[in-house]
Amino acid sequence: MTDFIQLFINGLAIGGVYALAAIGFVIVYSATGVVNFAAGQFVMFGTFAGVAMLLNAELPWPVGYGAALLAMALFGALFFAVLYLPLRKSPVVTIIIGTVAIGITMQNAALLAFGSWPFRLPSPVEGVNLTIAGATISAHAIAVVVVTAVMVALLWLLFFRTSLGIGMRAVAQDIQAARLMGLKVNRLLALSWVLAALLAGIAGLMLGPMWFADTSMGDPIALKAFAATIIGGFGSLPGAIVGGLFVGLSEVLGASYVSSAYKDLISFGIMIVFLLVRPQGVFGERVQDRG
Amino acid sequence: MSMRFPLLLGIVILIAGLGLSMLLTDYHLRLLNLAVISAIAVIGLNFAFGYAGLISLGHAAFVGTGAYGVALLTTLLGWSPWLALPVAVAGTAIFAVLIGLPLLRLKGHYLALATLGLNVSFSMVAANWIELTGGTNGISRIPELQVAGHALADERSYLWFALAVLAVSAAVAGLIHASRHGRAMIAVRDDETAASMTGIDVTRVKIAAFVLSSIYAAVAGGLFACHMRFISPEDFSYAHSITYLAMLIVGGEGSIVGAILGALLLTFLPEWLRFLGSAYLAFFGVFVLAILVFLPSGLVGFRWPGSLRRDGRSKGPAMVAASKEVRP
Amino acid sequence: MSLLQATGIAKRYGGLTALSDVELSVGEDEFIAVIGPNGAGKSTLLNVLTGLVLPDKGRVLLEGRDMTRAAAHKRVRAGLGRTFQHGRPFARLSVLENVMAGAAIRSRRSEAELRKRAMTVLDQMGLAADAQAAIGSLSYGRRRMVEMCRALACEPRVLLLDEPAAGLNSAEVDQLADRLSDLRAKHRLAIVLIEHNMGMVMRLAQRIVVLNFGCKIAEGTPSEIQRDPAVLSAYLGEGHRHAGV
Repeated sequence: MTDFIQLFINGLAIGGVYALAAIGFVIVYSATGVVNFAAGQFVMFGTFAGVAMLLNAELPWPVGYGAALLAMALFGALFFAVLYLPLRKSPVVTIIIGTVAIGITMQNAALLAFGSWPFRLPSPVEGVNLTIAGATISAHAIAVVVVTAVMVALLWLLFFRTSLGIGMRAVAQDIQAARLMGLKVNRLLALSWVLAALLAGIAGLMLGPMWFADTSMGDPIALKAFAATIIGGFGSLPGAIVGGLFVGLSEVLGASYVSSAYKDLISFGIMIVFLLVRPQGVFGERVQDRG
Repeated sequence: MSMRFPLLLGIVILIAGLGLSMLLTDYHLRLLNLAVISAIAVIGLNFAFGYAGLISLGHAAFVGTGAYGVALLTTLLGWSPWLALPVAVAGTAIFAVLIGLPLLRLKGHYLALATLGLNVSFSMVAANWIELTGGTNGISRIPELQVAGHALADERSYLWFALAVLAVSAAVAGLIHASRHGRAMIAVRDDETAASMTGIDVTRVKIAAFVLSSIYAAVAGGLFACHMRFISPEDFSYAHSITYLAMLIVGGEGSIVGAILGALLLTFLPEWLRFLGSAYLAFFGVFVLAILVFLPSGLVGFRWPGSLRRDGRSKGPAMVAASKEVRP
Repeated sequence: MSLLQATGIAKRYGGLTALSDVELSVGEDEFIAVIGPNGAGKSTLLNVLTGLVLPDKGRVLLEGRDMTRAAAHKRVRAGLGRTFQHGRPFARLSVLENVMAGAAIRSRRSEAELRKRAMTVLDQMGLAADAQAAIGSLSYGRRRMVEMCRALACEPRVLLLDEPAAGLNSAEVDQLADRLSDLRAKHRLAIVLIEHNMGMVMRLAQRIVVLNFGCKIAEGTPSEIQRDPAVLSAYLGEGHRHAGV
C-alpha cells in the first residue's frame, strides 16, 4: 500500500507535467488549428532554459525560473512569427512537417549548446521528503502536483474571467467572427503560442528534477502529450488534464505492476482504442476534421 | 501520353542512376542506395497521402514489417532472400488490410495520430519481443542477394539492382496514377461525398491506396534489410515515418518525380550541410522549413511553375477548398 | 412501376423535423421539380434519396429494389445520379478525367473506351474544347457543367439536380434548360430538379412537388401549383418564418 501511494503521487506528478504539455498543445491547436509536433521540444527547451539559468548562470532559483520563463515566452512569440505566420494558409500536413522541421532544429540547437550528456536540474525543495501514510514522498512531486493544480486554476480564470481569455476563446471558435468583432486576432493568436510555450516551460522546469534531462527528451514527451490529448478529447482543456494524469499514472503504475518494457504500450494501446471507438475522447468535442 | 510517361520515367531513372554509379565514391554510393530505397517507400506513401489524402505517420512500420519479414524468413528459416521478399511483401499487405479496416474510418490528424500510435507500438514490440526480433540488438547476418551466382555485396552492384526496382516501382506507380484507380484515389481525396456519388466505393479505394502504399513500403524494407544485412527497431521508428512524409512534401506530394526528388534531397542534404560542422542538423530543419514556405508545392513545383501543371495544384489545396466554396 | 420511389420518409435532427412522411414517385422519363422555401427539407430529401443521410422512417426503392440503407455508391451504380448545390467537381483532375471517373462506373471498360465515352458526354454538353483544362481555370457555370457531365457519364436512369441554376446568369440558365430538355429526349432519363428559379421550373417540370417545413404541401402540374393557395401562403410567409433546417 505504501508503495502504491508513492507510485500514485509520482504518477500524478509525471501526469501533471504531461497535462501541462498537453494543455499547451491544445491551446495552440484550438486557436490556430496547428498540430504542433514540436510540443515535446518546447518542454525540452523549458528544462534547458532552467539548466542555463540555474546551473550555467547560477542565478538564485526565483530569478532563474523567471528568466527561464521569460525566455520561453519570447520563444513562443518567435515560433509564431517564424512558423505559423508563413505557413498559416498551408495544408495541415505541411504545417505538421514544418513543426517537425523546427523541432529538429530546436533539438540540435540544444545539442550544440549543451552537449549530449544528461543534466539534473535542482529543485527548490531539493532533498526534502514527506511521509504520508508511511510512504516516503519527495516534496518535489507534491510541489509538481500543486503547481499543476494552480496552473489549471489560473488558466480557468484566464479563459473564463478575463476579457483577454474570452477573446482568445472567441478567436479559437471563429476567427472571422472574432475579427469582425474588432478583436486583434493576430495578437491573440500570438498570445496562444506564448501561453503554450510558457506552460511547456513550467512543465520542463518541473520535469528537470524528476528525470535526467538530455536534449533528446522532447519526442517521448510529445508522444505522451498526444496520447493524453486523444484520450481526454482533442481540443478539450479538461480532456488534456485528465488525459495527462491518466498517461502519467499508467506509465508509473504500469511500469511497476505490469511490465517496464511495455509501460508505454498501455497509454498508446488505450489511445488507439479511443481513436477507434470514441475518437472524440472522454471530454470529446464534436469530431471535426480541421484543415 | 499516359503510357509513355511511366516508361520514360523508368528509363530516365536507370540512365541517371547508372551514370551516377560510375561517378560516385563508395560512401556516396551507399547514401544513394539509401536514397533509392527511401524513394521506393515514398512513392508508396504518395498513393496513400499524395493521391488518396490519407495522412499516415506509420509508414515506417510497414517498411519495418517488410524488413523484419525478410530478416526472419532468411535467418530463422534459412529461406533464400528471393523467396523471402515476396512472402514478406504479401504478409505486409495482409497486415495493412487488417490495420486499415478499422483505422481508415478516421480522417485528418486523427488518422495521423492513430498511425503514429501504430508506429510507436510497432517499435515497442520490435524492441521488446526479444526471442523473435532480438530486441534492440536487432537481427544481423541477413544473407546478401545473389543474381546469377554473383553476390550483390558491394555498393555499386547493389545500387544497380535497387535502381532497377525503383525504375519498375516508379513506372508501375505512373501506370496506376493514369488509370481509373489513380483517378478514384484522387477523387476520394478531393471530395469523398462527390466521389461516392460518382459510383466510387470510397472505403475500398482508401483501403486499396493504403495497402498499395504498404506494399511499396515492404519492398523498400526488404531491400533495406538485404542492403544493410542488419536491422534493428531504430531503423523503423516513427521519426522515419515523418521523414518519409517530409520527403514527399518537400519533393511535391501527388507526384512520383517529387517523391524521388524529395527522397534524394533529404538523404543528401545533411551531407551537403556538413560544411556547417556540428550545426548541420539544426540548419537541416531550417532548410526544410524554408522549402515548405517558399516552395509550397515542393521541388516539382519549382520546375514547372504555373499553368503547365496538370491540375493547378501549385496554387495549393487552399485553392481547392476555395473552388468548393465558390458562391455566385 | 415507378423508377424511383420514396415512401413515408421521415428525418429528425434533434428536435427539428427535417422531413415528415414525405412521398415521392418518379416514373420513366418523367421531369419532376421539388420546390419549397429555404429550409423546407429539399436537400435533406435529396440526401435521403442518394444515401448520404439515412432516414428515421420510410423506404427508398429504385426500380422496385429496396435501397433505403444502401451505400451511396451502390445507388449510383444502380442508376441514380446527382449533382450538388454549388458544384463539386474533383479539383485535382482535369475536365476529361472528371468525366472519365464517372464513366468508370462499369468496371470492364478499357481506358480507351472510358475516354471515348467521356468525350461523347463532353461533346453533347458543349465542353469538348475544355477537355484538357484544369477545373480551377473554368468559370463557375462551366465547372457546374463538368459535374453534370460526370453524373451523366455514370449513365443514370434518374438524375437528381440540386439547384443547378444557382449562380448562373440568365443566358446560362436558358442554355441549361435547353440542355436538360435535350438530354431527356436523347437518353430516356428521368430528372428530379430542386430549384428556386421558378421560370426554369415552370418551363421544364411536368409535375411539381412542394415541400414546406418538411411536409409535402402540394403536388401537381405547374399550372395547378401556381394556383394552389397553400403554396402561395408558404412562399409569402417565407420572409417571416425561417425554419432552421
